[in-house]
Amino acid sequence: MTRFVLRRILAAIPIGLIVTLGVFALVFAMPGDPLRELAGDKPIPAAVLAAKRAQFHLDDPFIVQYLLSMKDMFTGHFGTTFAGADIASQLRLRIPVTLKLATLSLALQWIAGLLFGLYAGFRRNGVVDRMLLLSTLVVLAVPGLVLYFAGQFLFGVQLKWLPVSGITEGYPLAYLLPATCIAITGFAGMARLTRTSIVDTANADFVKTARAKGLGEQRILWRHVLPNALLPVVTLMGIDFAGIFAGAVLAESIFNLPGLGQFLFQSIRFHEGGVVVLLSTLAFVMFIAINLVVDIVYGFIDPRVRNV
Amino acid sequence: MTTGEVLLEVDDLTVEFDTPHGRVRAVDGVSWQVRAGETLAILGESGSGKSVSTQALTGILEMPPGRIVSGTAQYRGQDLIAMTTRERRKIVGDRITMVFQDSLSALNPVQSVGKQIAECYRVHRGLSKGDAMKRAAEMLDQVRIPAAAKRVNDYPHEFSGGMRQRVMLAMALALDPDVLIADEPTTALDVTVQAQILELIADLQAERDMGVVLITHDLGVVADVADNVVVMYAGHVVERAATSAALEHPVHPYTEGLLLSMPSAELKGQELPTIPGTPPSLRAIPSGCAFRTRCPIAVPECALEVPPLLTVAPGRDAACIRRTSISAKEAV
Ligand SMILES: Nc1ncnc2c1ncn2[C@@H]1O[C@H](COP(=O)(O)OP(=O)(O)OP(=O)(O)O)[C@@H](O)[C@H]1O
Ligand code: SF4
Ligand SMILES: [Mg+2]
Repeated sequence: MTRFVLRRILAAIPIGLIVTLGVFALVFAMPGDPLRELAGDKPIPAAVLAAKRAQFHLDDPFIVQYLLSMKDMFTGHFGTTFAGADIASQLRLRIPVTLKLATLSLALQWIAGLLFGLYAGFRRNGVVDRMLLLSTLVVLAVPGLVLYFAGQFLFGVQLKWLPVSGITEGYPLAYLLPATCIAITGFAGMARLTRTSIVDTANADFVKTARAKGLGEQRILWRHVLPNALLPVVTLMGIDFAGIFAGAVLAESIFNLPGLGQFLFQSIRFHEGGVVVLLSTLAFVMFIAINLVVDIVYGFIDPRVRNV
Repeated sequence: MTTGEVLLEVDDLTVEFDTPHGRVRAVDGVSWQVRAGETLAILGESGSGKSVSTQALTGILEMPPGRIVSGTAQYRGQDLIAMTTRERRKIVGDRITMVFQDSLSALNPVQSVGKQIAECYRVHRGLSKGDAMKRAAEMLDQVRIPAAAKRVNDYPHEFSGGMRQRVMLAMALALDPDVLIADEPTTALDVTVQAQILELIADLQAERDMGVVLITHDLGVVADVADNVVVMYAGHVVERAATSAALEHPVHPYTEGLLLSMPSAELKGQELPTIPGTPPSLRAIPSGCAFRTRCPIAVPECALEVPPLLTVAPGRDAACIRRTSISAKEAV
């Protein structure tokens, strides 16, 4: 087990290097001068500009800039943004916001996805099943962005049921609408996979064997169908979990939640290469860690992949 | 040899499926019986209704789309088809058990084999977990799996095909059933392993005086182990006989064709004659005798009505209008 974990971590290092380097290069290649963008139309004294450029190593070659910001990151010197905000304290403020949003949306999408998927799978071709197929098809066809804006407009602006944006209303009220929007996009895939998996497993040969053993339907369901049918669902949960940051960037920006996603969005706009790489690395480490946990969990529930 | 008590008696079993293209009759008026200590082979090509008939009578066929149109299946005088699911569960899985062809997909991949065998003792005998596992290990030993006590916690994918089929057998024989229905238990295995499994079944059967219904499409297997044979074609029973009699004097032209296409020592090196044509699709079964499109001795009358299964000699039945008695066949 330890060997398995170590091997996975070692394998993640080169991928991490490529990812951060790629992200840094993308920010570096963006057109425009970051400091000028920050200042807007105001003229900046040449001396100030030069000092800032030196502080952020902006005149160094690309690879030096990259290495310097990696070094800062690993030594815990996160520094400040171009505008002067302390990045470490930014993280302290923003991480809880994103965590709250992520947990709430995951909880919503997993619970709803599992419940509807299971029910539709058992009552195949029933009313719930048909409605689920139709509604998830619609959700899958609509881009996330459209869904977020539509949700904000309908429930925030028109019906006024939930706050339109910001977190002044606190948890969970302020998070409910963005979390639901993220959850709906994830829910569709989750419910469909669960349903299909239940239907497939119910037709498996070993279910026939279980019937031939004279087992009751409840026992067949809990001991034979579900443990097998939920395997792909667990994989999808892991993928959802690991990818939650992507949904957060969009939702936090649209609903103006001061979380990591919004931070990333702003940093990209202001060409803050260091911050972008920091946040990407954070997301990457999370991604690797979550996948590792999923693989370990998977090893427990599926003996066929247990050769670690 | 076949004087034991009649354990399972199937009479006039007819099964249909509702498909998007209409109704098809996969099993039509099938009758047979199996006695204690007897091995009854059900022989037929793929799609002839062997699996559907046994799955229908044990109640494990998916219904719908399947539907039992008529028939009874008496286990010691109780009709399995008429009884409720709850009543049937006390018999199927306890007194009548089954093994299937593909042991990899027929075993639950995420449960240890011991647990799957132990489940029989837990559900039908109410044993504690510990006792049930102990009995499971004993069963694995009885089907001659080496180091059974250790392997009881292994998972199906950790066994070879032959060993896995032994696990299936251990599970099916755990409760000492009266009747074992084995649906092509050796088809997926290579020849040597196949022989070992068949021998194992025969040994365990002799120990327990159990009736065995062996489904196969291999006449060689029938010749090796079966006391009696039921030949099926397109859902119908076309011939019923003691194995030795059927091998010496096949009555129905289909059985005859099967026999001629079986490799034998004398014909070594020669090309085997095969039955021309392919089995009919259930949606287009020929009128009258279903075999007439492939039958070498078919006459126009064969298209008129389905030939009834007639007794052509004591203990021998065949469904062919041109072979209504052994002597008639001899005369042809
Ligand atoms: N669910 C179903 N819907 C429609 N037709 C079916 C269904 N299940 C089986 N059949 C049909 O019933 C017929 C008999 O099938 P069965 O499985 O009993 O054949 P078999 O004799 O066991 O053949 P094999 O040697 O391939 O196992 C086949 O023609 C098959 O197409
Ligand atoms: S009834 Fe006719 S077609 Fe059918 S087997 Fe006999 S001879 Fe052949
Ligand atoms: Mg079959």
